[in-house]
Amino acid sequence: MRANADTPHDSRVARDFGAEGIGLCRTEHMFFDGDRIDAVREMILADNEEGRRKALAKVKPYQKEDFLGLFTAMEGLPVTIRLLDPPLHEFIPHTDEEIERVSKASGISADHLKAKATELFEFNPMLGHRGCRLGLTFPEIYEMQVYAIFEAACELVKQGKVVKPEVMIPLVGSYKELEILKDMTNEVAAEVIAKYGVKLDYLVGTMIELPRAALTANEIAEHAQFFSFGTNDLTQTTLGVSRDDAGKFLPIYVEKGIYKEDPFVSIDVSGVGQLVEMGVSKGRSIRADLKTGICGEHGGDPESIAFCQKAGLNYVSCSPFRVPVARLAAAHAALKQ
Amino acid sequence: MSTKWVYFFGKGRTEGDGKNKNLLGGKGAGLAEMTSIGIPVPPGFTITTEACVQYYKDNKSYPVGLWDQVIAALTELETAMGKKFGDVNNPLLVSVRSGARVSMPGMMDTVLNLGLTDESVKGLEKSSGNARFAYDSYRRFIQMFSDVVLGIGHHQFEHILKDMKNARGVKEDTELNADDLKGLVIKYKALVVEEIGKEFPQDPKEQLRYAIDAVFDSWNNQRAKTYRKINKMSDDWGTAVNVQSMVFGNMGDDCGTGVAFTRNPSTGDKEFFGEYLVNAQGEDVVAGIRTPEPIAKLKTAMPEVFAQLEEVYKKLENHYKDVQDIEFTIEKGTLYMLQTRTGKRTARAAVKIAFDMVAEGLIDKKTAVLRVAPEQVDQLLHPMIDTSVKYDVIAKGLPASPGAAVGKVVFTAEEAESWAAQGEKVILVRAETSPEDIGGMHAAQGILTATGGMTSHAAVVARGMGKCCVAGCGAVRINDVQKFFTAGAPPLKRVTS
Repeated sequence: MRANADTPHDSRVARDFGAEGIGLCRTEHMFFDGDRIDAVREMILADNEEGRRKALAKVKPYQKEDFLGLFTAMEGLPVTIRLLDPPLHEFIPHTDEEIERVSKASGISADHLKAKATELFEFNPMLGHRGCRLGLTFPEIYEMQVYAIFEAACELVKQGKVVKPEVMIPLVGSYKELEILKDMTNEVAAEVIAKYGVKLDYLVGTMIELPRAALTANEIAEHAQFFSFGTNDLTQTTLGVSRDDAGKFLPIYVEKGIYKEDPFVSIDVSGVGQLVEMGVSKGRSIRADLKTGICGEHGGDPESIAFCQKAGLNYVSCSPFRVPVARLAAAHAALKQ
Repeated sequence: MSTKWVYFFGKGRTEGDGKNKNLLGGKGAGLAEMTSIGIPVPPGFTITTEACVQYYKDNKSYPVGLWDQVIAALTELETAMGKKFGDVNNPLLVSVRSGARVSMPGMMDTVLNLGLTDESVKGLEKSSGNARFAYDSYRRFIQMFSDVVLGIGHHQFEHILKDMKNARGVKEDTELNADDLKGLVIKYKALVVEEIGKEFPQDPKEQLRYAIDAVFDSWNNQRAKTYRKINKMSDDWGTAVNVQSMVFGNMGDDCGTGVAFTRNPSTGDKEFFGEYLVNAQGEDVVAGIRTPEPIAKLKTAMPEVFAQLEEVYKKLENHYKDVQDIEFTIEKGTLYMLQTRTGKRTARAAVKIAFDMVAEGLIDKKTAVLRVAPEQVDQLLHPMIDTSVKYDVIAKGLPASPGAAVGKVVFTAEEAESWAAQGEKVILVRAETSPEDIGGMHAAQGILTATGGMTSHAAVVARGMGKCCVAGCGAVRINDVQKFFTAGAPPLKRVTS
């Protein structure tokens, strides 16, 4: 039983409720807090790698601080950290009013902000420039995050603490994406661990949130030590339904019995569930000890949890306040099996 | 061999398996099980859920053999009771009730006192020696049968009843005498002719067949469908029909009817908990016309009956190893059980009962874990609206994150934060929230959004925070310039000081 938590406070709440680890830490939430959003915007607005690296150097101490807090709160328990996932335009202002405000606060010209917003515009952000695609096109972003993770972890190990970081690469569709980013992660990790002169066990794994990832899970498992099924996006991409636009038709679908229930609330067992089962069995055919879990909203839904038990997942992860509900649901699922 | 559609129970003999709720329905299984463990249950028979399913498959006609089996079971019932259906000396009367595999309280139809006609009512008068009782039963039957089977609204009969009470200058039904009730029967029957252009059916078997149809049909009435949808129950299960010999709680002051739980369903305390009414029939308790007495009073009012009831409820709880919700009727000092089912309880009670039952050695720990539904845990973790207080509902939205919250209305995250910093409790009202509102959401007691669904930003974040959130509340119109919102009612303004 794990929790989705991005802050030390949420982690402690989850731990008090009985969570045995963090199944999903979304690093993007850390980008919004206080002063760091300015440095993040500076990075996004930079025209070249050098400019980005300069801005990222300002973000890194904040990230490291976040991870120190998170690892400390979850000492002794595994913490899965997802590298940056959302498209970059989510971090910059869009409306004239917001642009005005940010321009005043940051000293960046409104025209520059507007031009960048136009440049980053996407017709379909959910399927756009996000997830590991960011890590592959702007390697310096993920690199900064991985340095921050391992520096924080090694620092705590030096203090005698037990830290179990798990680095998670989002939106992988091909094993090659994962291979490149896994190698980068291992190189950075080796460098930092050597620098600190400590011993640190860690895992590198991936989200399974695209149908192609589930279908080629055997290839992906060659490079992943764990799979975390991101069933929010896996549901969107399998059903071809945009969650944010579904409000207009999904309730009617449920009413007409096309779906028994909202598939974003309770997992679509025969469709999405089949991909999860396939992912687990193909993955384990290559790596018998592959750790598998779920970190979508479904991780807190009792019916979906029963499915996860049946599918042989190792853990479910949900928001901290769902943890007691999910624990009991997991117990029911195990007892009824 | 043709399918068995009908299962008899009574006088220590049960054809059905009391564990088979899927076939017999919850009520039918309970009646069979109680009969088989020697608890006093009025004899009767259960028509299976499969018969109902087949009825719908065959375009609302009875499957082969069903009616013959009903008639055979009826004959057996007559023998068991020593009474005859429609008899002019000692008539058999029956109740006809629904009973799906999972209880759907109040969603489907029931008919009591079936078998009364212009002839058999005289028989009931003779056998009971009580004319008032006989005609009261008849007028109740006409009213209920007409409502459920013939589709003539309850209120139309209530009008006639009220006129009668006014004419006699009395307040309570119980103050009407036998002649008044005879007069009511005539007026009720006249209303039936006026409404459907036919006489009220005078053949008891025809009445029975109509009533069975009505119960089958009530499986698909709108409120039953809605109930199943909310509770995620399948439309394909069908309902069983229980036909049971009537016992009467309304034959005098040594009679009564009641509902009880073997433990307190609200707190979980180990105390016999319930209510009863003297000289009343089942629907009087539900209708709320008279205020029932607490069950403890029965101990002094009818000590022998209470002792028997105590023995029965303990036997039932030990047998089912769970809290039972029971219905009983007392006829002339004799106790009859009409229903037993698993008692619904609050989350708090569920936890206490599970713990207590382990300590008592009634269940093991694994069973105890299964006795608390995961969804119930929510109830224990969030503030709740006090259900005993009545509130004006101004608008409804999606239950994005559970709980209850009280605070002053603010329209921006900044306001929420600055007000909260000054120690104010606030509720953040937005069209929809965005990641930049996180701080304000954190500072607020609760969040209300006009758009967005169960997985909108506001919903996801609020659940993460364990904070109450109503999302997609379409009736809410926000004017964030003038700082107010409307929801049908007068505008709710932000307090500006």
